[in-house]
Amino acid sequence: MAAATVAAGHSLMKGEKYHQLEELYHQALEREPDERRAFLEQACADDLALRREVESLLGYDERAAYFIETPPDDVAAAMLAGEQSQSMPGRTIGHYQILSLLGAGGMGEVYLAEDTRLKRKVALKVLPVYFTADRDRLRRFEQEARAASTLNHPNIITIHEIGEIEVAHYLVTEFIDGETLRHRLMQGRLEISPALDVSLQVASALAAAHEAGIVHRDIKPENIMLRGDGLVKVLDFGLAKLTEAPTPSVSEEASTAVMLSTEAGVVMGTAGYMSPEQARGQKVDARSDIFSLGVVLYEMITGRAPFEGATSSDVIAAILKTEPPPLGHYLPEAPAGLERIVQKALRKDREERYQTIKDLLVDLKVEVRTKEPALTSGEVTEQRQTSSVEHLVSKIRLHKRGAAAILVALFVAIAGVAYVLFFAEDKKSIGSIAVLPFVNANADPGAEYLADGIPESIINNLSKLPNLKVMSRNSVFRFKGQEIDAQEVGQKLGVRAVLTGRVAQRGDALAISIELVDARDNRQLWGQHYNRRLADVFAVQETMAEEITEKLRLTLTGAEQQRLAKHPTENLKAFQYYMQGRAYTQRRTREDLLAAIRYCEKAIGEDPNYALAYAGLADAYSNLGVRGYIAPIEGLRKAEEIARQALALDDKLAEPHVALGQVYVTYSPSNFSLGDRELRNAIELSPSLSLAHLYLGVSLVRQGRLDESLEELLKARELDPLSSVIARQVAVTYHLRRDSVRALELLREANELGPALSATWEIGAYIQNRLFNEALAELEKAKRERRDDPILIYSTGMVYAAQRKRPEALQVIKELEEMSHANLDQAHWIAKIYATLNEKEMAFSWLERGLATGAIGVFYKDEPVWDPIRDDPHFADLLRRMGLPQ
Amino acid sequence: MKTVTPPQCFLAGQNLRRWYNPVRLKLSSASDEVSAMSPSPQQISQLLVAWSNGDQAALDQLMPLVYGELRKMARRYMRGQPAGHTLQTTALIHEAYLKLVGQQEKRWRNRAHFFGVAAQAMRHILVDYARSRQAAKRGGEALEVSLDETALVTQDRAAELVALDDALNDLAEVAPRQSRVVELRYFGGLSAEETAEVLKVSPETILRDWRMAKAWLLRQLQRGTA
Repeated sequence: MAAATVAAGHSLMKGEKYHQLEELYHQALEREPDERRAFLEQACADDLALRREVESLLGYDERAAYFIETPPDDVAAAMLAGEQSQSMPGRTIGHYQILSLLGAGGMGEVYLAEDTRLKRKVALKVLPVYFTADRDRLRRFEQEARAASTLNHPNIITIHEIGEIEVAHYLVTEFIDGETLRHRLMQGRLEISPALDVSLQVASALAAAHEAGIVHRDIKPENIMLRGDGLVKVLDFGLAKLTEAPTPSVSEEASTAVMLSTEAGVVMGTAGYMSPEQARGQKVDARSDIFSLGVVLYEMITGRAPFEGATSSDVIAAILKTEPPPLGHYLPEAPAGLERIVQKALRKDREERYQTIKDLLVDLKVEVRTKEPALTSGEVTEQRQTSSVEHLVSKIRLHKRGAAAILVALFVAIAGVAYVLFFAEDKKSIGSIAVLPFVNANADPGAEYLADGIPESIINNLSKLPNLKVMSRNSVFRFKGQEIDAQEVGQKLGVRAVLTGRVAQRGDALAISIELVDARDNRQLWGQHYNRRLADVFAVQETMAEEITEKLRLTLTGAEQQRLAKHPTENLKAFQYYMQGRAYTQRRTREDLLAAIRYCEKAIGEDPNYALAYAGLADAYSNLGVRGYIAPIEGLRKAEEIARQALALDDKLAEPHVALGQVYVTYSPSNFSLGDRELRNAIELSPSLSLAHLYLGVSLVRQGRLDESLEELLKARELDPLSSVIARQVAVTYHLRRDSVRALELLREANELGPALSATWEIGAYIQNRLFNEALAELEKAKRERRDDPILIYSTGMVYAAQRKRPEALQVIKELEEMSHANLDQAHWIAKIYATLNEKEMAFSWLERGLATGAIGVFYKDEPVWDPIRDDPHFADLLRRMGLPQ
Repeated sequence: MKTVTPPQCFLAGQNLRRWYNPVRLKLSSASDEVSAMSPSPQQISQLLVAWSNGDQAALDQLMPLVYGELRKMARRYMRGQPAGHTLQTTALIHEAYLKLVGQQEKRWRNRAHFFGVAAQAMRHILVDYARSRQAAKRGGEALEVSLDETALVTQDRAAELVALDDALNDLAEVAPRQSRVVELRYFGGLSAEETAEVLKVSPETILRDWRMAKAWLLRQLQRGTA
């Protein structure tokens, strides 16, 4: 590193110079990348060194996005693991000379040592002090370890000595020249034959131990050594005795379980291999070892642990509640016999498990034998005759080449059916789900887009399914960062299933765990852990969507499956930009929408075929227009153009149809069918898209189709119950149906959900109910935040008009007239105030003006405010020209 | 229009969540050594207040305490952990805070300052270790048979950390506050707001410092390896 300092030395700018550098750096960052060069040229004038320095640093800005964003936990862990062992080599313990560290585990470090008396290599394990501090436990450990050792079984490690130095106890065993199964598994899963061979040898060791009344209690890959010559040795018999709670009894179950899951060292590494009874802290017997061996076997074959979770309590929960996917899920060629063995070993109820290790051993042997001919013929075969199906199959089998493929298919099918029959208590599918934002587990802000983006992609994906109600992003994201109680979420949103997840990203590695919970009783339906590379984030989203539908027991058609399998982009950077843009679109201030546009454009820059990003862009532009932040017509035209581009890229994408629908509903009121068609199209493609239902509802209500509108809006509300916009829109329809009680009720709900008073007609609802004081209070509240909002000025005018305060109302009209920038609704509003004042001619005159300039906005013909002029033929004529039914 | 960069808009509140990590470091009470010399939580609180008021001597008293406590807790914690188990530095610091200052301390500022000290201590601990690893490597320790996954990873990571420490020292020469910001956030896991409290500047300034320091450091490191 000294070299680096020297090398960099020439460019170390100090003091005043550094401040200058700093200022320019940040100023340049505020500019778009393509403007920076020109800016710096001008700002640095003739100071070439300064300019080079800023440009050089800017070059690192983007690259540094993830740099040092996560704490150096890995180094800390390695340090602490390593530091105890450093002092040992070279030392002599008793007549053992320590040579080197072989490894370290939860139960202490293992050293290679030489027995100076017998001149042989041994392994010496120093036991953690606080496990051996309890004399009683230590004695029980010694007893069992010695007992197992005296069995003299080839698969059980031989213990030479248990001794004591200073405060620590150590264990001297034969030295096994080989690797642990854990080490082996780190290089990938095992082929079926070697996996069977290892299990067989472990089972054989356990059979001998169990016979002698010894339970291992801690069977896991770390405790299984594979020697170079193929011999397998089981380590650490009895050692688990050290970590056990003294005398577990039923009454202590709960507290023991808690202790197990939190106390250092007991569980963290081994949780995944515990039997359910062990996890509960109950007394264990030989059948516990059978379960653990089942876990090991599963892991050898699939390369994955059957029970996974981000924390040990998650793992324990999985052991107690979750059924792991069948082997065939990961390995379609897994023989059914093996599948059955694993399932029987992994039964949660020990009464249903293999009752003795010998039973398991026998089945394993049969499996090995059936495997052998298959190995020579190179085909996947299976000939256990335990069921009629298998029997039948075994007859068709053999001699025929094509049979192998059929067999594989059959076994997969059997495994699948068995799985469904076994695990689905009631086979009814689950019709509604809320996918909550994921927890960003290492709190790296750089990974936030994943914590939001992955669930959003799952939502988008699942929304395409016709038989599933999927909560909209808006509603579920209200729970972001909150402690989640699935039952509560389920009740609030009205769904049966809740999906939660955690995501952790470190460099290129991505870890995701998800949990599907039944919202009725908080019961876990399914949990899964995915370890992938970051680049595989899209594939894993697809896998998750598929697995979720499977767990919800939905049957998909081929077309639906295809739709699920589609990724909007394969470009990670583009995905990230789009998700950042999405975060902005949710808040609809001018700045947020502009930021959303910037990010969507960046996403498109990364992936020009990213149709979804075009749709996001269109959405942002139309909202800029609708809100009057830019000329409405300009915004809507732009939105239309971009949405068309999106559809050109992918016409099966619902979002651009919605964007187009929104444009037409707002902008071309004379041609409702245009917008309605787009929206119905979107609903067809993605039935759970709440916005499509919302805009269709808006379109229908303006056409006076109040019942149909209500139907669509209630659907939208069901999909997005926490949206204030939707609640308000439902209230509009009630209001127009003259159901003022319900309208007000929903309005109040809407006000609790979102910002106060955002639409012009709301005040009409209050006025209709003659709730002037309420109306004024609402206005006051809203004005505190948005004093100059024209909507609020107009609304005040409406209240004056309704209260027959003519001069005040006219003053408001004057103010509205004087507003410089064109607002979509200006003329419309003034007409409403005049109508309320019962000044028909003025009302018509302003409506005409609005119609002529396109500044009429969203016009509800059924609104009670038009009652005073409704019967006038002029009104009917206006409606006709607006393309509205009369 | 104000430019909001992506990392910044997500920063607020993020880091705070780290403090409440569910992985609590439960330690065996039997091996808890209670030293007669350790100052009471009140005394530590007073030292924190004194330090935040600019009393450097208070820091000199605090540092060895925090350093010692962190090492002690970490060692005890890891002794019981299987190899390869990760340790969360931030959780460790939080744990040390509870131990030394206690839950009664409701003053957010004192907490921020404690984490400020702890970040520095954590940096020392980790970098010292990383340097020793490097030394060991140069010394040519022959046999590297290890079942410990993390130990394998660490040779490289140790080198990285040492390089980062050097680069941070370089940065401290030209921009001391930026260097401190990185120390607090990276080694201590402090949020922008907490860092701002320790350094007595606005969170916006912290985010600016952080962004530039990251670019500066990354460049320095890459030049070093080039």
